[in-house]
Parts: sequence; structure tokens; C-alpha cells
Amino acid sequence: MSVALRSVAGAERPSITAQGVWHRYGPGRGLEPVSFAWCGPSVAAVTGANGSGKSTLLKVLAGLVAPSGGTATLSIGGSVVPNRARRRCVGYASPDLMFYDELSCAENLAFAGEALGLRDVRRAFTAALDQVGLGRVAEDRPGALSSGMLQRLRLALALLHGPAVLLLDEPTSHMDDEGRDLVARVVERHRRAGLVVIASNDEREWRIAEQRIELRGRGLGGAA
Amino acid sequence: MPSNGSSSAAAVWAVLRKECRSEWRTRYGLNAALLFAVTTLTAVSFAIGRLGNRTDLLAALLWIVLLFAALASLSHAFVREVEGRTLLLLRLVASPAAIATGKLVFNLLFLGVLELVTVPLFLVLMGAPPPRWGAFLGILGLGSIALGGCATLVGAVISQARGRGALYAAVSFPLLLPMLAAAVSGTRAQWEGGPVGSEARLLTAYAAAVVGASLLLYDRLWED
Amino acid sequence: MWRGLLLLWMTVSMVAAFTWAPLVPGLEETTRVLYFHIPAAWLSVVGLGWSMVHSLLYLGRRRIEHDDHAAAAAELGLLFCVVATVSGSVWAKAVWHSYWNWDPRETSIFFILLIYGAYLALRSAIEGEERRARLSAIYSAAAFVTVPFLMFVVPRIYFSLHPDPLINPGGKIEMDPRIRIGFGAMLVGFTGLFAWLLSLRVRLVRLERVQLEAGAVPGGSL
Repeated sequence: MSVALRSVAGAERPSITAQGVWHRYGPGRGLEPVSFAWCGPSVAAVTGANGSGKSTLLKVLAGLVAPSGGTATLSIGGSVVPNRARRRCVGYASPDLMFYDELSCAENLAFAGEALGLRDVRRAFTAALDQVGLGRVAEDRPGALSSGMLQRLRLALALLHGPAVLLLDEPTSHMDDEGRDLVARVVERHRRAGLVVIASNDEREWRIAEQRIELRGRGLGGAA
Repeated sequence: MPSNGSSSAAAVWAVLRKECRSEWRTRYGLNAALLFAVTTLTAVSFAIGRLGNRTDLLAALLWIVLLFAALASLSHAFVREVEGRTLLLLRLVASPAAIATGKLVFNLLFLGVLELVTVPLFLVLMGAPPPRWGAFLGILGLGSIALGGCATLVGAVISQARGRGALYAAVSFPLLLPMLAAAVSGTRAQWEGGPVGSEARLLTAYAAAVVGASLLLYDRLWED
Repeated sequence: MWRGLLLLWMTVSMVAAFTWAPLVPGLEETTRVLYFHIPAAWLSVVGLGWSMVHSLLYLGRRRIEHDDHAAAAAELGLLFCVVATVSGSVWAKAVWHSYWNWDPRETSIFFILLIYGAYLALRSAIEGEERRARLSAIYSAAAFVTVPFLMFVVPRIYFSLHPDPLINPGGKIEMDPRIRIGFGAMLVGFTGLFAWLLSLRVRLVRLERVQLEAGAVPGGSL
């Protein structure tokens, strides 16, 4: 049984350590060097002005962006997770995540589950959809969802494989009060065993965090 | 951990199935490519008429039609992900190598279907002499693998550039030149009754080299 | 200092090549093309090799300096490739009475020209420094793999009119030693010129980066 596929209820303690991580997309754009160590179970928050690199930092932690310098390591139960196994230990949701419109919501999640190598794909996506309250629209196309519901679908994708670490980029954007409550419940459930990282400037989102880092860097307030 | 080999095989399979399902539901890529191939073919046939025994011209025209049809359609597998902004989802659930391998297999299937329609039509419309089927199909198959391998790699690169539609053919062409020359000369030799062994070996080596190099390079395709 | 030496060296060898070295019978005055056509062709191959090796190094080490070298070598290589193609074509008109006839040498230089063109076009179409470096290095590595195949394919399809058989029949060196000295001197001079231009280009790219960085963030720390 893989470390990655075990449920969060297990006793593993995820932790993330970053040492001098920085990334640049071009002159003057990117993430300034940042170092921190977070240990689960816990909620950590990343805040900072537009363009200071919050989303970039989350993408680095998710293994989507190779940083220009520095290292970001993810360990579970004391052992370091190699980069190629990272996607199975991390659940990631961000507003720029889009789904295949040719496939239904359920099929989108089923595809994700198959690609991640889950054993019981059907059960996994049914559970994830129920958890975010999208059971009714499982057969609909993602294009037919409202932006708040789409945001819930993103959350379902992040929860699909029961990851030890949840990386949530602006998790409640476009959401109504009910949606906010849902996110709060998910975070609350997850913090007991795993690590939740929230990138946001909305205090309602990050005030539950025990640890917070604020990115300074290049937020010039210009085009983010 | 489950062995990396089996888990990435599952990811490749999932990507391939997703591609086929998307394509089957929209039929956008295949319809466009078939229409393109038939249009080119008709234009050539209309302009030249039946070529009968000019096997040198027949071989060249056959590969030019296939080349253009391939270059009009094979970057689509990646461009679709970029334009639908679904690449992030894909990258979250599968490794770059698994994604690209899945798309490579899909592109080869796609080329196969395309040729199933184009090649018989070409032979009939151009009044070609009956080919030596074994040699003809051998060269056609090997040439298609080489063409597909190269076009897939360049397609993955070009999908991340501006003005990709116009650039794709121009950027692929230099890499395809050796393979094209060998395929044309093999196809011609097959009609003229000569041996095709050396061309077949050349195409095999080319296809192996391109696909092998691609597998190494795929891992660096997406890092930001 | 060594730039002055280079200038002197190239001047002396060029004068020597045009006055001291004799002509090859059969080629007459067109022999002179040898002294810059072949060095230019040589440098277009060197430029391609240098660019590809640095692309591979970039993929391995992810240091942007390798990308600077790869790009600079490709730009210069393209320049020399155009010189070689045009001088060769003019020469072909004089001797073979045709500017272009897909001789194997013409085919290979044209192929190199295409790769350079495609590589530079690709670079100009990609935004973001690291992405540009990474993707163009991937393309370059793929081209690196396919280049050797051309050497196998071309001779099967075309036969050569290129004048090694005229200057150097059967591989036996019968060239006048003065031609060889002049040619060797020009080859060395051209290679020195290439190295100098390359270092200039790489320095320029670095300075541009520093300037952009400083311009984008006054007092920026990176």
C-alpha cells in the first residue's frame, strides 16, 4: 500500500520545508526568495500583495513549477517524497484550474483518478463529489456549472485521492456563504490529520491558520 | 509505493482513453484533418490528373499529402489543452512523460485512421500502379511512426509558443526532412521493384531515435 | 590586444590568399572562393554544434548562461551559414552554370539553414526567459538527434558535383602547399573571429538582462 494512497486519517505527519525558494518568469516578475518550515497537522496561510508570488509558491509546492532556485521538500512521516510521487500526496485547487468540457464532471474526476492510479476510482469520485455537494450534477458538463459550483468541483479534484497535503489557492473565490461554510468544514476536517496551505488575501479565509507567511517581493500593485 | 512503471502505464492509458473519448465526442480534430487531406488530394489530382507510371512523382506527392495532413492536425492534441486551459488539470494528475506518451500513442492512432482514408483514395485518384503491399505498408507504417513521433514532440513544444499555428509546420519541417526523404525513396523503390531494406532500416532507426529522445525530453516539457 | 592580432592575421592571410597562393587548374579565379566559403561553411557547422551542446548542457544544469551561448552561437551560425550558402551559390553559377541544383553539399547547408531559421523563429515566439531556454533547448536536442540521419539519407538520393574530386582527386592531397597554407590561415582567422563575436554577443545578452532587471525594479535585489 502506498504512502500516497493511504487516507489522511493515517498517522503520517506531513511537513513542508522551503529553503530560499525563488522563481522568476521574466525581469521583475516572480517570487522573491522565501524560507519556511510547516509541520502538520495544521493550517498554514500565504498572504501578500497581487503579483508577490502566492500562486507561484503554491505551484512550486505542488510540483507544477520548477523553481529557479532553492528547494522545497515535502516529507510524510519523516521521509522525503520524491518529486515524481508528489502529485499523489498533494491535492491542489486554484481558480485557473479548468476541466474538460467534452466530459461530464464525474468523467473528469474519473479520468483524474485513473491517471493517479487510484484503486477504486468510482468510489473515490463519488465520495469527493458528495463531499463538496455536487452529487446531483455529476453527469453535467463542467461548462454548465456556475462559477461557484466550478470552484467546488476544483475542491473535489483536490480531495479525490485523499492527499496528505491540501494546497488551496483562493479557495472561496466566487463562492456564496454556503460554499464558504463548506470550505471551512473541509479545511477543519483536513487539519486534524494533514496539512492545509491556503493562499489568499481574504482574511475570512486565512484567519483559521496557525501559521502565516506574508510575501513581500515585487507586488508593485501594477498588472498582477 | 506501487512500482513506478505500472503507475505511469496506468497514467498513459488514462490519458490515451481521455484523448480518444474527447476526440470521439467532438470529432473536431479528425474531421478537420480528413477534410484537409481530401482537399489537398483533390487539388493535386485535379491539377495533375492521373499519373499512371510516374512512380517518382507518386511517391513524393503521397508523402507531401500525408505530411501536410499531419502538420495540420497533430499539434492539436496539445494546443487543445492550452486553449481549453486544461493543461493544469492534466499536469496535476500525470507526469509530463506519461502525458506526452499518451498523446504520442493517440497521434499515431490518429495518423492511422487518417491514412486509412487518404491512402486508398490517393491510389485510386492518381491511378497509381498496384503497390507491393508488404513493402508499401511497411514503409508507410515506419514512416508514420517517425512522422508522428517528431510531430508530437514539436507539437508539445509549439503549443507553448505564440503564433503556434503558423510556426508548427515551419519548425517541424527541418526535423522531418531526413525521414521524408527516406520514406519517399522507399515508396518509390517499392513501385519500381527495387529493394526497400535500407530505407526501412533508416526509418526504423530514425523512429527509434526520435521516440527515444522524446521520452527523455518529455520530462522537461512543462516546468512553469 | 588579441583582437589586434586577429585583425593583422586575417589581413595578412587574405592578402596572401589572393596574391601569393596559385590557382587550381580548371577552377581558375573561382579558386579564391575557397578562402572564405569553406571557413564560413565550417563555422556554420561549428555554430550549430556549439549551440546544440549548450542546449544539452542547459537541459542538464538549468543555468541560463548555457542558453545565452546556445542562442548567440545560433545567431552567428546563421550569419556564417548565409555567407557560405550565398558564396557557394554564386560559385556554382560560375562553374556549374546554375545557382542551385540540390547537390548534397547544397542540401546539407540548406538543412542547417532551415534548422537555424526554425530554432530562432521558435525562440522569438516563446515568452518567459526560462520557458524559452527550456523549450528551445528541447527543440535543439531533437534536431541534434535527427542531424546524423541526413548524412545517411542525402547520398542515397543525390550524387555530388562538389569539387573535392577536382581539387583533391581520390583523397590524395595534391593541393599546392601555398593554397593549403592560405586556406589553413583563413580557417584559423575565421574561427578566431567567430570566438570573438560569440563572446561579444554573450556579453551583450548578459548586460541586457542586467539592465532589464535594474529597469524593472529600481534597486531590485536579484
